[in-house]
Amino acid sequence: MNTCVIGRGLPRIDSVPKVTGEAQYTVDLKMPGMLSGKILRSPQPHALITSIDTSAAKNLAGVQAVITARDVPDGQFSFYAHLADKNILCTTRVRYVGDEVAAVAAIDDDTAEEALSLIKVEYEPLPAVYDVEEAMQPGSPLVHPEKEGNVTWTVQRLFGDPDKAFAECDVVVEGKYVTHQVAHTCMEVSNCIAKWDAKDRLTIWTNTQAPHTQRQEVARVLGISKRNVRVINSYMGGGFGSKLVMDMKLPIAAILSRNTGRPVRIVNTRAEEFTTSKTRYPYTMYLKTGATKDGRIVARDLKLIGDAGAYHDKGPATINFSSMMFGTLYNVPNIRFEGLLVYTNKEMGTAFRGFGNPQVSFATETQLDELAEKLGMDPVELRLKNSNEAGMETSCGADVCGCGMGECITAAADGIGWNEKRGKKDGKTLRGVGLANMVHTGGGGRFYGFNSAEAFVKLSDDGTVTLITSALEMGQGAHTTMAQILAEELGVRLSDINVLSNDTDLTPYDLGSWGSRATFMNGNAVLAAGRDARRVVGEAAAEMLEADVMEIVVEEGKVWVRGSDEKHDLAEIVEHAVNVHGSPLSGTGEFIDTLPEGYTVPTAFAKNIPCFSFGTQAAEVEVDIETGQVHVIRVIAAHETGTTINQTMAEGQIEGAVVQGIGYALVEELVRADGKILNDSFLDYKILNIGDVPEITAVCIESIGTNGPYGAKGIGEPGLVPTAPAIANAVFDAVGVRFYELPMTPERVLKALKESGRSEGGSS
Amino acid sequence: MKRELHITVNGDAHHLLVDERRTLLEVVRDDIGLTGTKNGCGAGECGACTVLLDNEPVNSCLVLAHEADGQAVVTIEGLAKGTVLHPVQEAFVEQGATQCGFCTPGMVISTKALLDRTPDPTREEILKGLRGNLCRCTGYLKIIDAVEAAKCLLREEGAE
Repeated sequence: MNTCVIGRGLPRIDSVPKVTGEAQYTVDLKMPGMLSGKILRSPQPHALITSIDTSAAKNLAGVQAVITARDVPDGQFSFYAHLADKNILCTTRVRYVGDEVAAVAAIDDDTAEEALSLIKVEYEPLPAVYDVEEAMQPGSPLVHPEKEGNVTWTVQRLFGDPDKAFAECDVVVEGKYVTHQVAHTCMEVSNCIAKWDAKDRLTIWTNTQAPHTQRQEVARVLGISKRNVRVINSYMGGGFGSKLVMDMKLPIAAILSRNTGRPVRIVNTRAEEFTTSKTRYPYTMYLKTGATKDGRIVARDLKLIGDAGAYHDKGPATINFSSMMFGTLYNVPNIRFEGLLVYTNKEMGTAFRGFGNPQVSFATETQLDELAEKLGMDPVELRLKNSNEAGMETSCGADVCGCGMGECITAAADGIGWNEKRGKKDGKTLRGVGLANMVHTGGGGRFYGFNSAEAFVKLSDDGTVTLITSALEMGQGAHTTMAQILAEELGVRLSDINVLSNDTDLTPYDLGSWGSRATFMNGNAVLAAGRDARRVVGEAAAEMLEADVMEIVVEEGKVWVRGSDEKHDLAEIVEHAVNVHGSPLSGTGEFIDTLPEGYTVPTAFAKNIPCFSFGTQAAEVEVDIETGQVHVIRVIAAHETGTTINQTMAEGQIEGAVVQGIGYALVEELVRADGKILNDSFLDYKILNIGDVPEITAVCIESIGTNGPYGAKGIGEPGLVPTAPAIANAVFDAVGVRFYELPMTPERVLKALKESGRSEGGSS
Repeated sequence: MKRELHITVNGDAHHLLVDERRTLLEVVRDDIGLTGTKNGCGAGECGACTVLLDNEPVNSCLVLAHEADGQAVVTIEGLAKGTVLHPVQEAFVEQGATQCGFCTPGMVISTKALLDRTPDPTREEILKGLRGNLCRCTGYLKIIDAVEAAKCLLREEGAE
């Protein structure tokens, strides 16, 4: 490929405003007359509301509005309309510590806070349930009493004949695996401003990954037409999945604004962010894997119980996605998957980088090492033997178009020094190496029955190029990626391009930035729009320069006739077209990714993923058997990018994800007592700091076969998926103990070492 | 209760009437309108609000505005000279050390403070100097690269 811009580690187009402080985030916006909104949240994990007295709050000077369930539409909401289960404000029952009970708008934060303290709510506490398996027992407290039980969603998949296959296997491994709730901890907390205009139209400024679908969600829960809702986002301080589904503060702010006639801002405190902005779904998994003695995996059975928390949110979709990745990582002919989503009296889960895949990968990839041990086979050899290859169709219908799995395994193993280190002890330190594979979507999914994107290019007579795309920038670099694709296609410099993506009135309908889909989906639309704009520029230049259109060259913002020394600025061509012919220049492009033939849910459900991205991570760890600390020394993260659009940004995505993955593996967990989260601050909820980070080598493996822009795949999520099992497998290599629960905290490590007799002073 | 406050921010002298409970972060962001300094936690745990107070890095959410009375504050907006970036900013851009950018102002200010104090820091000194600044996006490696690059840029600048 002859590319000028693609692949290079060019600086991001938004980095200068970010290093100068010029970048305005939603939380930085100000509006005349703006009020401060705050939400009164339940202190009870499960209770009936017996009375609410707001009179003292309403009488406080500076308070403009106080609302309870009586003042809001009574419809319920969930991401899927037919699974709606949450009121804007609780009516008679609260279901977790943090549930929204009432809200106020006041002239400033202090007054709003004081008003909250004056609202008197009486509760009648009810028994609560926090553990999914307890919640499934008959007689367990019902989180939603109108339902028969707490199991609220089930997914069953069956491919081949697992029972028969297991009976014929030479080796079968079984285990129970548990993961816990972790928080996204975006540096910018969830926040919004709501304002109604004189035409009765609601504008919401918020940090969102999916403005168009949130616009629909706000309209749906408020019972108003979506044409009366506009959503605007700004620079955004992180997403990681947490800002995909609407937060209730949006309709709450809208109602407070409606009642006061003024803009109302609601901003989470950091404690609210930890306790109410939703988490990764904890999974309890029963997994069984069977293989022939030569190491061919022939059967897998996974029963997965997902902890929804108090409401559905993205739970059903997360469980569905888990089943797809479980069925696709290796081509196993016989698969059974049963996924249950269970209500508990806890903060609800939502999308989180990896979307149900890191949990399952922890189970499958640590069990694979156990299988290798029983087979007496090297874990790398076992993985290579079962690795997918390009062009395969797996038993669950996944079309493995491009596939760099084998290369990823080799790159990670070689990078960590597998042959020299695995299973070799020097007698002094407890070091080990481990590795794990992953697969993830590299381009979102056709989960809505479709997957499409559109883009527009506007050429100005000053030579600047405006790209209108729905590729949301939440920090991952989508704007720069889109600008690089456009620069490549149109023949302009990156600095000539402005990207607009922040306003539902401006941008085409789009499902949002999630599922590692922006590069693949929006990128393809931008590529088409860039080609369209290039065609238009070529025609205009041919006319102006009196040359054949095929002889027009456009590069780095200059236009000329091939062979001529006379170079023109793009601005001259556009100006000529506009001023001489009255013909403005622009380009449009779309990418429509329809469901392929053969897609059916029971037999070929993984066909709704347009392309897969494979990867392997290898970790080297040292275990301190006195303290139980696992110290990660280095990680080699080899991930398939298809074609790397921006080397620096791709590395940045992988490195950042690996560090989140190390946190998931070793330290991050929301801890509760009586339903209340105890670690609701950065002091008590540890995320890795700069001194905790090991050496990380991000390796981008290029592969062919997908129809992303230039063959590119998404790389936003994959880096987190295999980190925890790679570390767990390395810990086994170091100390010979397997872990079935995350995070591997010092307490859990010491306990496991003690049980295995391997701790200091133990019997081994 | 409101009291008079004299404070210099990025070279501009401000004379304000400020409630004595307000933090330096609130005054910089809300009263003076410099929103480059970010509020990540409000409790001194994340470092997003780091500013220089008489050349020392502080979490501005933990400093009462009146504690800064009569002193000079430098915020992220005070580093570049017009459109010319400070070497630390330039290094963050070149090394790809920003993603969402919300921690970046604090990171840049902490890096400047570190390099002002220790022009040739060891890796250990870099890690120590930035340990109070949390980032959820980058995994920190490109931030370390940026500090190393800034060190070289500053040295070149000093040699000119």
